[in-house]
Amino acid sequence: MKFTPKHIEGNVNVSKTHPLAELGWLVGGLMLLVLIFYLLLGVSTDIAVAKIPVSAEVWLGEYFIGGMDALESEPLQKLLQPLLDNLPADSPLHEYHFHAQVAENEQINALALPGGHIVVFSGLLEQAESENEVAMVLAHELGHFAHRDHLRRLGRGLGLTVAAIMLFGQDSVASDLASKFFLVSESHYSREQESAADRFGLELLVAGYGHAGGATDFFARVGKDAGSRIPYLLASHPHPDDRVRELQKLIAANGYRVDAVIPLGKDLQEGLPVREDASFEEPVSGAEK
Amino acid sequence: MLEIIFRYPDLSLFLALMVIGYTCGTIAEKRHYKSIIKREQELVKLMVVNAEGRFAEGAVRTSFLVNGSTVVSNDYFKRLLAILRNVFGGRVKAYESLIDRARREAILRMKEEARARGAHMIVNLRLETSTIGRSANKKNRIGSIETLAYGTAVVMNRP
Repeated sequence: MKFTPKHIEGNVNVSKTHPLAELGWLVGGLMLLVLIFYLLLGVSTDIAVAKIPVSAEVWLGEYFIGGMDALESEPLQKLLQPLLDNLPADSPLHEYHFHAQVAENEQINALALPGGHIVVFSGLLEQAESENEVAMVLAHELGHFAHRDHLRRLGRGLGLTVAAIMLFGQDSVASDLASKFFLVSESHYSREQESAADRFGLELLVAGYGHAGGATDFFARVGKDAGSRIPYLLASHPHPDDRVRELQKLIAANGYRVDAVIPLGKDLQEGLPVREDASFEEPVSGAEK
Repeated sequence: MLEIIFRYPDLSLFLALMVIGYTCGTIAEKRHYKSIIKREQELVKLMVVNAEGRFAEGAVRTSFLVNGSTVVSNDYFKRLLAILRNVFGGRVKAYESLIDRARREAILRMKEEARARGAHMIVNLRLETSTIGRSANKKNRIGSIETLAYGTAVVMNRP
């Protein structure tokens, strides 16, 4: 047998596909899978959310509130009580034990966390002018609880993260990324959810105070800073100005009175309640003395 | 821009590693293939077979073991492609070129050694591949592969 030296052109062992093209296909496919999963998850969460008992929610809530650094607020709780007293007898909210809390944060916002925790940011309290206004915010959050929106939004984000962990393993880069991405993008309520909570809040405010004064103040204030309406065309949450208009329409349709508002008490205007155990909690600042 | 980097340090690090992995990986691969092809053409006359050599009596002056080994590292971009492949199945194309480079480089080094020692051919070629590095088989780590080529170099009794 004669040996003929010959250099072989080409390479059968390496695929010709460009790595970026392959990345595109794989990421695209993955996105499609996630999208299908997301849609299915939306349907299944809606079913599941209605069935989660409040006791399980309270247990979940402990986990969330632990990471929030929110403090119980006595004056805020006092504001919440008349609203709770005026709930209809068949309201599912009677099962909850509500905690009104304040967290130090510059944002003008409030949150409904699982287990009946309503967290109001100190930024909102600093800007608020009337008791009715803060009560409307609390009533709005109670609306989210009544419709269980807080669980719905959590359910999807949580479900997606769990799915990513199942696919890629707990400490993989991919599931890290998924949890970050989905939990951030899921942090808003939908337009319908917000509007429904607004309606619920308005009714509760009127039931508690006898008139609808101060109902629109909060959204009007936020609306001033919100700027142009164009970015809100596609946004999941409505523009504050639209919410003001919708509330005014409701007030007119139901013939609610709009009376003078009660100015916000000094204890709430200060924002954060004084920490009683501050000296124990902050050994670092103590060292500066 | 800077704000985003500080807000999501993990995500930024991930993207940075991807870009570094892709650019450096591509440049290194192109250069390596260029060198492999050039050296393969130079050494094409040195015969390598994986058959056992059978020679007439007195034809072989001497024979000795030659070997060549290479270690090629994975990069983050290739690993991402491989992770994504784990979801869908199919050929892990990203790793094909890695293995191919390691194999050809190892054979080349073996041939270079054989030529330096005056061999006329190499018989009984064998290849072995293994993952090495402390983290080669651990999750979330970048591993390397080693390819070892070895064979029997033969020096003929030629005038």
